[in-house]
Amino acid sequence: MSDFLHRLRHGPCLLLDGGLGSELIARGLVPGTPPDLWTLERPEALVAVHRAYVEAGSDAIHANTFGSNAARLAQFGLLDRIEEINRTAVRLARESGARFVLADIGPTGDYLPPVGQGDPEAWRRHFVQQGRILASTAIDAFHIETMTDAREALLALDALQEVAPAIPVLVSMAFERKKRGFFTIMGDPLGSTLARLRAAGPAAVGANCGIASPDMRALAQEALSAMNETSGSATDVRLVFQPNAGQPRITGDGVRYAQTPEEFAEDMASLLTAPGVAALGGCCGTDPRFIAALRARVR
Amino acid sequence: MPQVELADLAQAVIDGRTEEARRLARAWGEAGGDPLQAIEQGFARGIRRVGELWEEGEYFLPELIQGAEAMKAALEALQPQLRAASAEQPSKGCVVIGTVQGDLHDIGKSLVGTMLTAYGFEVHDLGSDVPVEAFVEEARRRRAGIIAASALLTTTMVAQRDLVRAVNAAGLAWSPKVLIGGAATTTEWAAEIGAIHAENALRAVAVAEAALA
Repeated sequence: MSDFLHRLRHGPCLLLDGGLGSELIARGLVPGTPPDLWTLERPEALVAVHRAYVEAGSDAIHANTFGSNAARLAQFGLLDRIEEINRTAVRLARESGARFVLADIGPTGDYLPPVGQGDPEAWRRHFVQQGRILASTAIDAFHIETMTDAREALLALDALQEVAPAIPVLVSMAFERKKRGFFTIMGDPLGSTLARLRAAGPAAVGANCGIASPDMRALAQEALSAMNETSGSATDVRLVFQPNAGQPRITGDGVRYAQTPEEFAEDMASLLTAPGVAALGGCCGTDPRFIAALRARVR
Repeated sequence: MPQVELADLAQAVIDGRTEEARRLARAWGEAGGDPLQAIEQGFARGIRRVGELWEEGEYFLPELIQGAEAMKAALEALQPQLRAASAEQPSKGCVVIGTVQGDLHDIGKSLVGTMLTAYGFEVHDLGSDVPVEAFVEEARRRRAGIIAASALLTTTMVAQRDLVRAVNAAGLAWSPKVLIGGAATTTEWAAEIGAIHAENALRAVAVAEAALA
């Protein structure tokens, strides 16, 4: 068993990093420009952000590979550099000195019919391709993030398990809070979706993006209750949560997130020691201060 | 009197039954029913209910799309009757519409375009991820009275303010209005940037009519 998998299964809870895109924008990335471009053109900025998170207390950081699949890179004319982009992003993450590096696997950006024109066969090829490149780099795990369609998440998980059976995979979905509970925009409910994912054998399942820490805490409670109700081989699967820093608002200086690091840490602190919770981090709008505030709550 | 009931028209949209909506619209038109009544009291009522179910968290993206597809099919099927009804009337005005740069969401925007067309506007849909310059150029080319820009994300909404500034700077003699929409937008945001606002496709028709009156 790898160090990372052992840490996931036996704790203590891992501190992940926070938002990357917003940190790059703060350093001059023009909104609308793919962050993958900076892997090639501004590597020092990537290393600086990764280092800032490590110094703030992150045990594990995400390499800048969230959008580095063929579907997304093709939109920006970067497809021919897919290998270089993914490899370099992992190398830059390693340069930060982080204990663990996760390869970030984001969605292809399209939807399955009737919502979009997505082709599951093509999607699987994209995940296999990206997974294969990353599997030969110095990563500790894959993290499939911000998925809004359970079918795409399962497809990505299956693809990564095929090309890298020895590398742990975490899977996080993006949920919204509706009157009836937590659902993805495609209508996947929290409980049954996490159960479906768990049954496919990842190392951890959870949620990222979409909601802020108060709602994420409520989501976590529901997820923990659901876990306790089921038994069997899925009990090895851990939980991971990464909320946003509040809702985004437009200000004179651009988009700003409302929440303070202390509010974030206050909401997330109780999850640090909740049985079954293996990793906590932040998503959009969070920065190293948020991780530092959460780090300060670790006993 | 058409055999088809208005409630059936609404239900076809609510259930996302595209071919049924198309069939009902055609039957309504062929039986001599008023196409605007079919829309306002039938199909549009259905899409409003779809919107409510979305707000309530009962309907999600797939149901929203199915409803929009059914609505679009119904409006297309009613085109002959709508054209005939407005044949005596001049075009209500020219509208350039699109989703702003960096944003690919287009369900609501396309629905607005379809509704405006149904109600007698000349609509030029630029699609999604449309730069400000492209909006202005098309508006200049078509002499559009309204430039309609949709943005779903808070992060892409800022482009609507850029659009208003660009339209003002372009100094188009007929002073087109900028109409904005999209889930993140509000009447307050519109007022702040100097645009007008419509919260859904049916409201867009009324707002556009008032703006060009």
